[in-house]
Amino acid sequence: MEEPRKEPQLRGLYGKVKIPVKVLDAVIVIGFIALVLVLLLGMQNRGYTVSFDSLGGTPVEAQKHMYGEPVDIPEPPTREGFSFAGWYEDRDCAYLWDIENAPVQQSMTLYAKWEPRN
Amino acid sequence: MTKLKEHKPSKMEALKAMTPADRRRAIFDGIMNNAMFIIIALVIIYVAIKNPRFLSVPSLVNIISLTAAKLPIALGVGGCIILAGTDISAGRQVGLAACISAGLQLTTNKLFPGLQVMPIPVVLLCVLVACALVGLVNGFFMAKFKLHPFIVTLSTQLIVYGLVLLFMQLGTNGGQTLSGMSEGYRNFIIKPLFTLKTSSGPVTVPRYVLYSAIITTLVWVIWNKTAFGKNMYAVGSNEEAANVSGVNVSKTIILVFVMAGMLYGITGFMDAARIASVNATTGLNYEADAIAACVIGGISFVGGIGKVSGAIIGVLLLQIIFAGLNFLSVDANYLYIVKGLIILIACSIDMRKYLVRK
Repeated sequence: MEEPRKEPQLRGLYGKVKIPVKVLDAVIVIGFIALVLVLLLGMQNRGYTVSFDSLGGTPVEAQKHMYGEPVDIPEPPTREGFSFAGWYEDRDCAYLWDIENAPVQQSMTLYAKWEPRN
Repeated sequence: MTKLKEHKPSKMEALKAMTPADRRRAIFDGIMNNAMFIIIALVIIYVAIKNPRFLSVPSLVNIISLTAAKLPIALGVGGCIILAGTDISAGRQVGLAACISAGLQLTTNKLFPGLQVMPIPVVLLCVLVACALVGLVNGFFMAKFKLHPFIVTLSTQLIVYGLVLLFMQLGTNGGQTLSGMSEGYRNFIIKPLFTLKTSSGPVTVPRYVLYSAIITTLVWVIWNKTAFGKNMYAVGSNEEAANVSGVNVSKTIILVFVMAGMLYGITGFMDAARIASVNATTGLNYEADAIAACVIGGISFVGGIGKVSGAIIGVLLLQIIFAGLNFLSVDANYLYIVKGLIILIACSIDMRKYLVRK
């Protein structure tokens, strides 16, 4: 007697999957095509935005840079009764951004530090 | 009498012995089952041609450091996937751990005004206990109520996020980003382990790479050399059979999730010092990276299948892709779509492997 052909067994989260391998192949290929299209679209819109939050001072225009480029040093903002004390990575002005040398590695916002004038 | 060594045919010989149709089929299967690796290799080659600095020592050290930072969470999620489950609360648990770590290490504490900087072991203990508790809840509902892992971890994801938001509102902080952690804590995590001299200046390997290596070794021992590890694989591959052979299924499931929670805790503890500024969105979507890494690395949703080395390879490959796209200045918004597609494709390939295998 011929042994009945065993259906492949899927367990776990795939426990109830009933799909022919050919369809799965098509899904994988379509998935990769979609992935490549998204990457191509991403390549069309390259660049990281560096925004400046002057925290109450005069506004500073955002810049767009490629990975590894330093920021173009903007005109320092001004604020009534305060003097500008540099651009910082965080709102609390704990980490100074080395604006002359540090390379842009992602989209980010830099915050102005203000020191009150006497 | 000397025993003759049994001749095992190599893959090449096996391929030659096939009929042309079978051979074509085998080659096609090989390509499809390894399609993800082929695509990743192509991306690496493309990025390296476009920007040769991608393969420079500083860039490679950066990729290894990022891999080390993401490895504990991937190993945690990996354990859950071996149980044929998953854990989508992982990222939020990392966020919780990061917020607690930062909150107890602020030099001027806005969350708990007047609180001095806590000793590092106390902070680590708090983080581990908090995340282990979340893991316990996850494991309990999965083991005792047989709820679907997605439902349980979705619920705890929400609960943990709520807790994080409330935690950030404590004192006079008002939900703001925490920064200004003690030097001792930051040094403990990011101080150079050693420095490499390269043509483009010195490159430092941070301490957390060592911690991550130790944790990975520990997880390897637990998965492979302990009764608990063997039970985990047994429960993952066939819960009923494991139960019949005397494995305490509930205890195993709960322990896997508690261990996962502790691994997320460690990830968050390292991340707070690594990123240096923590807010309620820290850890958001980390589980996506971890799940993608595990599936790429061959930890299968079939259950009971997967190795520590697979998780390492998965995390490393994913970090290489992201670092590569970063070098090409591809906007982070596209990366979400890329990650989602990678998970779907990797799962399809994973499913295909076990469909074809008879």
